[in-house]
Amino acid sequence: MTNPMTKHLEALLRDMDGAPAFYVWVSVLVALVGLGGYALLMSVIHSLEVFEFTLKIPWAMMVSNYVFLIGSSTGLCMVASMGYVFGLERYTMIGKRAVFLAVFAILFGMASIMLHLGHPERAAVFTILTPNIRSAMWWMGGIYGAYIASLVVWCWLLLRRDLVANADDPGLKGTICRWLSLQEAMSTLGRRFPKSQGIIGKLSGMLDSETERSKWIRIFATLSLVSGLCAYVVEGSLFAHIEARAFWYGPLTPIYFLLGAALCGISWVLVTGIITYRVRGEDLPADLKDLFCEMAEILALLLSVAFLAIVYKMGHGLFVPNKAATVWLFLTGPFSLAFWMLEIAMGLVLPIFVLLFASRKQMMPGIMIGAVMVLAGYFMKRYDYVVASQIYPVIKNHLPSYLPTFIEVLLIGGLLGAFLLIYTLGDRFLPLKEKGYYDVS
Amino acid sequence: MNHPVKRMDRRRFLKIAASAPALAALDSIGIADADPIRYGKMVDTVRCIGCKRCMSACKRWNGLKVERDELVTDRNTSLSGNNWVVVNYLIDRRNRTHKNYGHWACQHCIEPACAGVCPVRAITKMPEGPVVVNEKKCIGCRYCYQACPYKIPQFDFVKRVTRKCTMCYDRTPLLNYMKPACVAACPVGALHFGYKQDVIREARRRTRDRGGRFYIMGLEEAGGTDMITILPTVPEDLGLVVAPRKVVNQNMDKIRITGAGFMGASALAGLMYLYAGLTRGRNRKGHDEPDDQTS
Repeated sequence: MTNPMTKHLEALLRDMDGAPAFYVWVSVLVALVGLGGYALLMSVIHSLEVFEFTLKIPWAMMVSNYVFLIGSSTGLCMVASMGYVFGLERYTMIGKRAVFLAVFAILFGMASIMLHLGHPERAAVFTILTPNIRSAMWWMGGIYGAYIASLVVWCWLLLRRDLVANADDPGLKGTICRWLSLQEAMSTLGRRFPKSQGIIGKLSGMLDSETERSKWIRIFATLSLVSGLCAYVVEGSLFAHIEARAFWYGPLTPIYFLLGAALCGISWVLVTGIITYRVRGEDLPADLKDLFCEMAEILALLLSVAFLAIVYKMGHGLFVPNKAATVWLFLTGPFSLAFWMLEIAMGLVLPIFVLLFASRKQMMPGIMIGAVMVLAGYFMKRYDYVVASQIYPVIKNHLPSYLPTFIEVLLIGGLLGAFLLIYTLGDRFLPLKEKGYYDVS
Repeated sequence: MNHPVKRMDRRRFLKIAASAPALAALDSIGIADADPIRYGKMVDTVRCIGCKRCMSACKRWNGLKVERDELVTDRNTSLSGNNWVVVNYLIDRRNRTHKNYGHWACQHCIEPACAGVCPVRAITKMPEGPVVVNEKKCIGCRYCYQACPYKIPQFDFVKRVTRKCTMCYDRTPLLNYMKPACVAACPVGALHFGYKQDVIREARRRTRDRGGRFYIMGLEEAGGTDMITILPTVPEDLGLVVAPRKVVNQNMDKIRITGAGFMGASALAGLMYLYAGLTRGRNRKGHDEPDDQTS
C-alpha cells in the first residue's frame, strides 16, 4: 500500500534532484527556520522580555529587519518595473524572479513587524474601526495592503502561462503548478455556480490572450510600482515625522529610504540570480550576463550617490545641535566600528570598486560578492539607523544601550532563512528561470 | 449582608423615558463648542522633599506593581509600565551643590504628539486635560514613545501595551473634585491640582514670592502642557529632556515631509523613465525573438 505521504515525499525528492550544494543550502535554511520557530515559541511563552529591546530603545532589530525587507521589496519592484512599466525588454528576463522575491520580502517584512507588536491581532481591527489619518503608520498599513495585493496579482499574471504549461507534469511540480494556476478552482467554481461560467470563461479567454495578458501585466506592474514607492515614502515618513528623534527627522529621510530601496533591489536580483545558477551548476546565458553587468554598473553609481548622501547627512548633522550627539555616536562612539567598517567600507566604498572591476571583466562571482557586501552593509545600516537614533535624548544622561539577544538573532535568522527557503523552493518548483525577453508591448 | 434590591416602578421608568429626548437634545445645544473646562497639575520641585508618597499613591490607585527598592527615598528610578511617576534627584550642572527633587510624569501636552502618531487612536486628549491611553485598543507599537518629546509612554512587557500617567481621570474631578492620587498624597503641598488658569496663577505666585529666580516649565514647551513644573533653573542644567517651545509633530510639518518624499519618488520614477528612454537601443542586442517555451 502506498502511503500518500510517501508518494509526495518521493515526488518531492525526485523534483529536488540537483547539485550537492543545493542540499547543503536547503539544509542550512531549514535549520535556520527551525531555530527561528523555537525563538518565536519562546517569545510567545515568556513574553516579549526574551528580546533585548528595552524601555528606552523600544524599536530594535525586528524593526530594522522590517525596514530592510520592505525596502528590498520596493527595490525589487522598481527593478522589475524597468521591464514591465518602462518597457526595457531586457529587464523582463529577471522580472519573474524579482517580483517573486518582492512578494515574499514584503510578506516576511510584515511578519517581522507583526512579531514586534504587542498586540498584532488588534492592529487589523482597530486600523479599520478607529483610523488615525494623522499617523504615518496608519497610512503605511493601508498602502502596503494595496501594494501586496497588486504585487501578488502581478506575480501570478507573470507566472500563469508557465504554470498552465507545467500543470501536466507528473511530479510535485505539476501539482503545485496546477494548484497555483487556479484552473481547478475556476472549473470548480463554474460547476458549483453555473451562472458564473460566463464570467469565468471571459476571464480565462482574457488570460489566454497574449495581448490582454501583457496589458494587465503592465497595469498591475504600474499599480505595484506606484503603491510600492508611495508605501516606502510613507515608511520613511514614519521615521521622518518624529521631531523628537533629531536623526530621523526631516524631509530628506524618505528620499534616503528610496535610495536604499533601489540599492537593495538591484543587489537582491544580482545575488539570487547568480547564486541560483552557481548552485545548479549551470552557466548564465550571455544576455543575462550582459544585464547583470549593466545592473552592477548602476549599483556602483547608486552607491556613489549614497556615499555622498551619507557625507552630507553626517556633515550637516554635526552642525545641528540635537543631531550632533547621535552623529558622534557613529563617528567616534560605540557605533563607530560598525559605521566605518561595515556601513562605509564594506557596504559602500569597497563594493563600488568590486562591482566596477567585476562588471568590466564580466566576472559574475565578483558581482555577486559586491552585491552581498551591499546587502550586508545595508542591513547593518538599517540596524544602526534604528537603534543609534534612539539613544538621544535621554533623561538624566544615562545612555541606554542595546545588543540583540541570542533569541532575537535566532528569530531574525529564521525570518531571513524562511524568506530565502521560499525563494529557493520557488526557484525549484515554479517557472522563475530566465528564458529571454517577454513581449511587453 | 443583603442589600434591599431597588425595583424601578412604572412612574420612575416613565420619568426617565420622558427625559431621554431632553437629555439627547442637550448635547446639541452647543455645550461641545463651549470652552472646555481644563484642569492642570503643578509640581513645585523647590518644595518637594522626595518622600515618594506620590509614587506609592499612584501605584495604589492604579493597581501598579511595586518593584524592589523603587520606593526607597534618594534612589533614582525610571518610568516604566508599572511606574507612571518618579521622584528623582535634580542636580544643577552649573552648581552641583544645588539639589532638588523632581516629580516626573506625563506632561499632558495640549497638542500631544503621541496622540497624533497612534495609528489606532488609542491615545486621546480629553477635554478636561488628561492624555489617556486606552489599553484595550493599544496595539503595542511604541510609536507614541518615539514621538513623545519627553519620552514618557512606557511599554509594559507583560500586558504588551503602552501605559502612562492618566492624571487620575478616573477619579472624575469634574463630578466630585477629587484630586489625582499623587496630589492628594503630597504632605508638603509640592503638588497642586485645579483649573489650568489657577494652576498657572499659583505657579507664578510661588515664583514671584521667592524672588522670581525660577523657571516655570510647561508654559511654552511642546506648545504648552497641562502639567506645570517649577524648576530651580532651566531644564537643560538639570539634565531634563528639553522639548522645543512649539507644538511638536504638527500636521502641516508631516505633510511637508511626506510631500518631499513623494517629490523624491516622482523624481526617481522620472529618472527610471529617462534611463529607459536612453538605453532602449540596447534591447535585443545580439538577441533573437522572444523565447516563450517553457522549461
